[in-house]
Amino acid sequence: MSGELEGLLVILSLNTIYAYGVFLAATSGQLNLGAAGFVTLGAYASAYFTNSFDGFGFSLVLGIPIAVIIVGILAFLVSFPILRTRGVYMVLATYAFAEVVAGVIINTEAVGGAAGMPVDIFVPYYFVVVSAVLVSLFCFYLMSTRFGLAMRSIHDDENVAILFGVNARMVRVWAFTLGAIILAFGGALYGHHYSYIETQNFNVLLSIYILLYVLLGGTQTAWGPIMGALFFTFVPELFRYLGGVTGQRWIEEGRFVAFGLLIVLVMVFRPEGVITRTMVEKVFSRKTPEQGAAE
Amino acid sequence: MNIFLQQIVNGLMLGGLYVMVAVAFTLIVGMLNFLNFTIPALFMLAAVMTWAAMAGGFGGGVDELIVTVLGADNRWIAGAIIAVVVVILASLVIERFTYRYTKTKYGDATEHALPLVSSLGFLIFFEHLVISIWGSDTLTVESPFGHASFYISSIQFSIPQTISLGLSLIIVFLLSFMLQKTKLGRALRSIAEKPDTAMLMGIDVGKIVPIVYVIAGLLCAIAGILFTINYTTVDAYVGDRVATIAIAGMVLGGLGNVWGAILGGLLIGLLEVLSIYLLGASTVKISIWGLLLLVLIIRPTGLFGHTSIGKGKF
Amino acid sequence: MSKSALTITGLSKSFGGLMVIDDVSFSVPKGSKMALIGPNGAGKTTVFNLLTGVYPIDSGTIELDGVDITHIPARHRITKGLSRSFQNIRLMPHLSAIENVMLGQHSRARSLRHQLFPLGLLPRNRWAAQARRALSDAGLTEYPGQIVADLPYGIQKRIEIVRAIVSEPSILLLDEPAAGLNEAETEELLTLLRKVSAHGVTILVVEHDMHFVRNLCDNVVVLNFGRKIFDGTPDQVHLDPDVREAFLGSDQDEPVASDQAPVQGGSHVT
Repeated sequence: MSGELEGLLVILSLNTIYAYGVFLAATSGQLNLGAAGFVTLGAYASAYFTNSFDGFGFSLVLGIPIAVIIVGILAFLVSFPILRTRGVYMVLATYAFAEVVAGVIINTEAVGGAAGMPVDIFVPYYFVVVSAVLVSLFCFYLMSTRFGLAMRSIHDDENVAILFGVNARMVRVWAFTLGAIILAFGGALYGHHYSYIETQNFNVLLSIYILLYVLLGGTQTAWGPIMGALFFTFVPELFRYLGGVTGQRWIEEGRFVAFGLLIVLVMVFRPEGVITRTMVEKVFSRKTPEQGAAE
Repeated sequence: MNIFLQQIVNGLMLGGLYVMVAVAFTLIVGMLNFLNFTIPALFMLAAVMTWAAMAGGFGGGVDELIVTVLGADNRWIAGAIIAVVVVILASLVIERFTYRYTKTKYGDATEHALPLVSSLGFLIFFEHLVISIWGSDTLTVESPFGHASFYISSIQFSIPQTISLGLSLIIVFLLSFMLQKTKLGRALRSIAEKPDTAMLMGIDVGKIVPIVYVIAGLLCAIAGILFTINYTTVDAYVGDRVATIAIAGMVLGGLGNVWGAILGGLLIGLLEVLSIYLLGASTVKISIWGLLLLVLIIRPTGLFGHTSIGKGKF
Repeated sequence: MSKSALTITGLSKSFGGLMVIDDVSFSVPKGSKMALIGPNGAGKTTVFNLLTGVYPIDSGTIELDGVDITHIPARHRITKGLSRSFQNIRLMPHLSAIENVMLGQHSRARSLRHQLFPLGLLPRNRWAAQARRALSDAGLTEYPGQIVADLPYGIQKRIEIVRAIVSEPSILLLDEPAAGLNEAETEELLTLLRKVSAHGVTILVVEHDMHFVRNLCDNVVVLNFGRKIFDGTPDQVHLDPDVREAFLGSDQDEPVASDQAPVQGGSHVT
């Protein structure tokens, strides 16, 4: 497999994992504009656990899960106050949280501060890809459960969901926490594959991009994040290719201009995202309506 | 101590400009109930347009035209005009593609976020448009006003900056006056309270909402123009830096409250200076956003805000 | 074991100084079918909201099957046996019919084991089967997988009722279940509710359609301006002077005796 294709697969895999991390919160009606915060925490915590010289020197199998679970516990605790806010305030609170994380890391010399930190153990591309597949499968599973149903109910009408016995607050806390764990896992994979991490890699723009391509893909079904990640990974590549071929720099830069424009257009014409529940239903149901009812 | 006071003065000067952006933000949150992330982009656009006029960034015929008509020293005038025009056009386009779509079909959580998401799309669009034309490095220009300054007990006050600060405050004061005392202002405030009732009362919401966008845009434009003139160094990311202080100031002062945004913005500006002075430049993020996080959790309405704004809306 | 499915005593609620429910007391006998009627604005939906815990009450008690549920949080009331439908349809628009109905089962499936079971991946599971059966019992043979947002009003209304039924409540609160339904649909609804009642479920409906009330209910309680003004049988309700004044006086539908023509729609005061 060519190096370039490998590189692309890694980017697609990471984008997919990040997408699912934000998706879980979004599908229960919460917009997380601070995804980068958890990605950063996952990257740094896991690096710290697995690095032999300036860290704990755990093995990969031990270091990454432990780190990710610790971030999960932090997310769980933090979610209670943050999820008490609503709407505008929640968006701002998650944004603020990510900035605080970045600020703390910059000031922590033990993890290299602003200069960043090398990561000793290397994780090959297929490891990242397999992880992405596993994360996807997990999310498909979760969305098919009653818990997933509860998440989507809260998204549509929280007050009615409560009247039917759904513990809205805890569902939101768990959706947020599981999302954070997935984001942290993505960060850990990033760090161990690229072997170097610094907070610039995980800035506000990353949070914004992830949220945007998750919404673009569609938050109603577990297919949405994959769509969003595919889009966000390959369309820029297309532009880069066109730019290289035609020799025009502005086409290459134009990939983000196009992305921004696309978001606006999608919100106007297809606000529920590219992949909707109805679409999935149509694609996957091979029965006629009469057969379905007779079952 | 003098250095410290000087820092504070400098911080307040800059803060005074940023505060206009905070007011623009809070105006849209208060009136239209959503967080318009394009605001910092409009600031950046205005700043860059002004720079381009002053430093020959438009290329070829346009630059020559400007110099011929106005003279090399007054190119900032062209910059100001172009900035204002560009920002007004941009504001109208943004309005067309964001506010119109707040009418929700299902009323669910993600739908309410639509305008916010669109505004993020526009933010990326404008930022990268500028980068693709002028690159992402810093763009500098010579100040037409030199470094004229005056002193109060050995603290230096730059004249252009002081004038800018004064101008900012006057404009915001006028805005506040307009909101309270004029017919337009009353119409705006009634839309903020209850858009449907406002429509029933005969207020043409469809005409007035673009006006709000344009007012907010103008505030950003003026701030951006003044920024370039005074600080002579801009880049495509200058909007992000403004955004920090603007958003923070808005939250601290209370969403929807104009004077709160001013006070909040100035306080955050001070906080920034103090952080840098006492704890080092790298702690600024923690101080400002940490404070913000606390405010959002404990007292989201900030110092002066109304509880009705922002609840359940984006 | 109490003879009454639901007993309300001295229920009162004000909103900002305005007394919307004023010392309302009545009892719904177990297994019966009762109607709560009154002019628009009388407070009928507010009573439902208080019963289900949407708002806290100012004073009074609510007893469900002899158990005092007055201070139990809304989330738990459904597990005590209280289930409802809504005046304006409040289905989850992005969920399918079957998924909406399955939300109704949530209160019976709260254990972790149930929460984590992959319902969507194993479509022949018993919860989905029960939901499908419940829908077809109600005469809803539309494809159960379709998103409800696109379904016709009458169908959505009945899906909502099915959702309330599958929680296997001891008492079913239905807020204007027949509103907007045509004759055929109303008949189907009546059949469904009679079946549900035959299984021992108590039914309390808010309704304006007196034909419907007369056909279904054993008792009627009338509210006006937040106060109870009548408690008796459907045959007697139109004879009561207070009731006549309430309806005629505010230009509302008059509850008709069965030998008169059905009422026309009156003006609705919001």
